[in-house]
Amino acid sequence: MKKTKKGAAPPEIHCHAEELSCKSLVMEALYDFEEGTMPETERRELERHLEACPPCVRFLDSYRATGRTLRALKPREVPSTLARTVFEFVKARCAKK
Amino acid sequence: MSEKSVDQGHDGRDLSDLDLVRRIKAGDEEALAQMIERYHARVYSLSYGVLRNAEDAEESTQDTFLTLYRKIEKFDESKKFFSWFYRVALNQAYSRARRRKASAKVSIQEHLPRFSEDGHLVSVDWPDASVAVEDEASARELAARAAEFIEELPRAYRDVIWMADVEEMPAAEIAEILGISIAALKSRLHRARLHVRQRLAEISRPALSAAGAGAAG
Repeated sequence: MKKTKKGAAPPEIHCHAEELSCKSLVMEALYDFEEGTMPETERRELERHLEACPPCVRFLDSYRATGRTLRALKPREVPSTLARTVFEFVKARCAKK
Repeated sequence: MSEKSVDQGHDGRDLSDLDLVRRIKAGDEEALAQMIERYHARVYSLSYGVLRNAEDAEESTQDTFLTLYRKIEKFDESKKFFSWFYRVALNQAYSRARRRKASAKVSIQEHLPRFSEDGHLVSVDWPDASVAVEDEASARELAARAAEFIEELPRAYRDVIWMADVEEMPAAEIAEILGISIAALKSRLHRARLHVRQRLAEISRPALSAAGAGAAG
């Protein structure tokens, strides 16, 4: 950590966790933690890591933000005439055979 | 969509998917119309995910139902209809995508979080997560870029992240459609999420640097 903008005090971003490593948390444990499928003892261990590790808290925030971004990708509008168009298309193509 | 609803249909109508399949096999046009009404929006959405273009997605939806109609005799009624049909739709969309262009792909290993030798996160490159929710224009821009980053993934990863995180389909249903285990699904999905998160972080880095922010883990 070197500096932050305009001379403000730098944020505390070091990891002080001693049990689970950041790498294990991010690469192996995060999915089950987020999906709620993690055993309780492991969940508590992960939560202890988060309490001592601002970088992983920020990583988790960005992981969740990515999820919100992805959900916004679903097309909201399906062409209103699509069902009729598809039906007519299938009928026409099969009538030719 | 629940496991149960797959076989019972999604709109509360009396006819199940299997009822409709049997009627379509028997040449019932009304059953075909009902099947289209039931699934055209989901097929369109799936196709859009692969093709990222409304016109292509519409044409792929048409072709998917045409294929359904032509191949429905081959459908094994002991299987779940929607799993079979979803694969038909996916194949149709990818077939169209291949004709359209050769898509560039990156390795799934190429854009993952970085760690120091002792396993700590290298913290220089994550985005301001609040951007995604507080600023409408930035959210739209991020979503567009996220779509690009999904598109550059190998197909095995694209399919799972689109179905799970965009379509919000249940894991068991996705695993069945793709013919993979739940464990494989979890692994692919997590890797794909990490890839997209990392790519979004990378594009936000210049903005952070410009603002004078910087940190090393």
